[in-house]
Amino acid sequence: MHLTRRNLIVTGGAAMMSTPGLLQAQEPFRLGLTPVFLDNDAGVIERLRGALASALGGSIELEQRRTYEEVTGLLLEGSVDAAWLCGYPYLQHRQTLSLLAVPVWNGQPLYQSYLIASTDDEASRLDDLRGGTHAFSDPDSNSGYLVTASDLARAGQRPEEFFGRTIFTYGHRNVVRAVADGLVRSGSVDGYVWEVLTTQEPELTQRTRVISKSEWIGFPPFCARSDKMGDLRVRQMQTALLDLNKSQVGKAALRLLQLDGMTDADPSIFDGIALRMRDLAAQR
Amino acid sequence: MVLVGVIASQQVLATLGRVQDARIRELAQLHVQALSVALGPHVLRDDIWEVYDTLVRSAGGADVGRTVFTAVTNENGRVLAATDPDRAPLDSQIGDQVVGAQSPEKLTITGDVVQILLLAPLVYQGREVGQIFTELDVSDLVFERTRAAMLLLLGNAVATGVLALIGYLAMRRMLSPITRLARRMQETAQAPEPIPESELPRGDTEMTRLVRTYNAMVSAIEEKSETEHRLAERERFVSLGRLSSSLAHEINNPLGGLLNATDTIREYADRPDVVRQSSDLLKRGLEHLRDVARATLDHNRLDRSSVPLSLDDLDDLQLLIGPEIKRQQQQLTWQVAAGLTDLSRFASAPVRQVALNLLLNASAAAGQGGQITFGVSQTPNELRMVFGDNGPGLTNEASNRLLSSGPVAPGGGVGLRLVRDLVAELDGHIGVERDDGTTEIAVRLPLPQTGKAGAC
Repeated sequence: MHLTRRNLIVTGGAAMMSTPGLLQAQEPFRLGLTPVFLDNDAGVIERLRGALASALGGSIELEQRRTYEEVTGLLLEGSVDAAWLCGYPYLQHRQTLSLLAVPVWNGQPLYQSYLIASTDDEASRLDDLRGGTHAFSDPDSNSGYLVTASDLARAGQRPEEFFGRTIFTYGHRNVVRAVADGLVRSGSVDGYVWEVLTTQEPELTQRTRVISKSEWIGFPPFCARSDKMGDLRVRQMQTALLDLNKSQVGKAALRLLQLDGMTDADPSIFDGIALRMRDLAAQR
Repeated sequence: MVLVGVIASQQVLATLGRVQDARIRELAQLHVQALSVALGPHVLRDDIWEVYDTLVRSAGGADVGRTVFTAVTNENGRVLAATDPDRAPLDSQIGDQVVGAQSPEKLTITGDVVQILLLAPLVYQGREVGQIFTELDVSDLVFERTRAAMLLLLGNAVATGVLALIGYLAMRRMLSPITRLARRMQETAQAPEPIPESELPRGDTEMTRLVRTYNAMVSAIEEKSETEHRLAERERFVSLGRLSSSLAHEINNPLGGLLNATDTIREYADRPDVVRQSSDLLKRGLEHLRDVARATLDHNRLDRSSVPLSLDDLDDLQLLIGPEIKRQQQQLTWQVAAGLTDLSRFASAPVRQVALNLLLNASAAAGQGGQITFGVSQTPNELRMVFGDNGPGLTNEASNRLLSSGPVAPGGGVGLRLVRDLVAELDGHIGVERDDGTTEIAVRLPLPQTGKAGAC
């Protein structure tokens, strides 16, 4: 399907080179979304699409996949024009990808990774969780995997050895659910998601407790392939993202996401992730 | 009726149980099939989260409330996920939890167990990749069954009660003639009365026949009573009848002497000594005749009940029995004890009748030249009369007449049944002893309370 569509764009674009504007106006902008975000809330996603479509002046097609890897793959192969990724896959493909915009949360384009356990668990640090079951979000998630894995690597441990059992839930909310329901003892979760959930589903987060928080790290960014950064539609999308907080619909969408807006932050905000990637790689 | 109700109820409950079992089996099989389809790939890939998420989502589906708990294991019985992770933690062995679990095909609800365990293989692409263990809540079905049982019980109880009431009323209606009959019999126990024709049950029913039979019995009793009464009257005269010939002799014998005396007086009217002697003789003879006549009259006087017993009555008895004794040339020993102070508490008639009848019997039993004894004595509580003879003893029939109230053949004995009835009326007791060729009949009469005359 996507392959077909891509072929259509390529062949159609070659055939109708004389009227690129018309084609661009007719083709929807394809935006990939990682499941790490609040992908369970169709209302939030719909509102974001509406706001971006309004700013872009055209329709937007949202592409969601189960794993980060799949969404990143879609972006790399060009099946989507841009994607809301995580800092970790962004850095993994730093040579190919460029930043479009970074969301601003609580005044800065940063967030933390939380290590959580159930409320009645007595663990106070990562080491106390040894031998227990642990839920990661996604093997390509910074907050939902890399932070804890690299913390363990720095202590000379591997997650699969340190924990009695690790599972991947492919969703930050799922990590919170797995811990809250007692399916696993602890979990690695996006701090932003956990905080938003405390206001949206307090009965869920109330059953969990934050054991430790990571350092402040670059917020999951919107990315596009570097070789497409010059495309008009990609530039329009970047502008739409950066100006999201200037329209009513954009503000409404941001309010639902509990974000302040978007910024064109410097890639250096992801240095912490790069450091962790290096430590993890060193172990391997 | 109750048994039929119980059996019918059992059948209904058994059918309900089968229907419920079929329903829960179908539900369990659907549950297992749906979960197998949904979970198969995840179990195959050991995708814990998806297994868990699918379980949780299915638990909130159409079967909500029915499935209490579900756990999925791999083929080795190791828990992959459960709707309640605390109960079946990840990677634990399901082990003992599945003890007593049933397969979907054989699932059955037993007793009042509200939760049943189900264990089924998780088959995916024709291969068993794990197991599904589910606890089903069947409380609604058990409640339904209990309610059905209660309703049946209640229905049966009401039906039985209504039928019993109808039966009672019908029986009561049917038995009302018998009830009336029984009441009438009770009310008229002393003197049974026939039921009037107007009160007879209508139609020629068993009841009518019963009442007619009762009326016939009442008539028979009346006739019998009348007969007995006549017999008793007659028996009373029997003793006198027996005495009449000897009494006639008693009167006749002196008559010759008396007539001779009158002739002598007439012939020797001028000889005062002869006249005086003859008139003395005449006076003594007439006095004897007077005594005999008086004793006889006393014995048959109609209004005797109020006359108290006295020693004169005993003398009368001796006078009355005397001619018979003499005729049979018998020896009579007459023993009247001193201190018979309370004789007057008895009425004379019954006591005289008893004594005379028993004396006549003794005389008849002793035979020609026999020996007869009569003794009367008194204790603080009773009057005791003993009649002895050296006859052959009482026959069975005579004994029966004297000692029991059973039916007797007519004739035989001299008023023995009358003796028995009179003694019974006086609350007395009759004893018979046979010893060394002598028969002794002892009559004990309790002394009546002072101031009260005899009951007769």
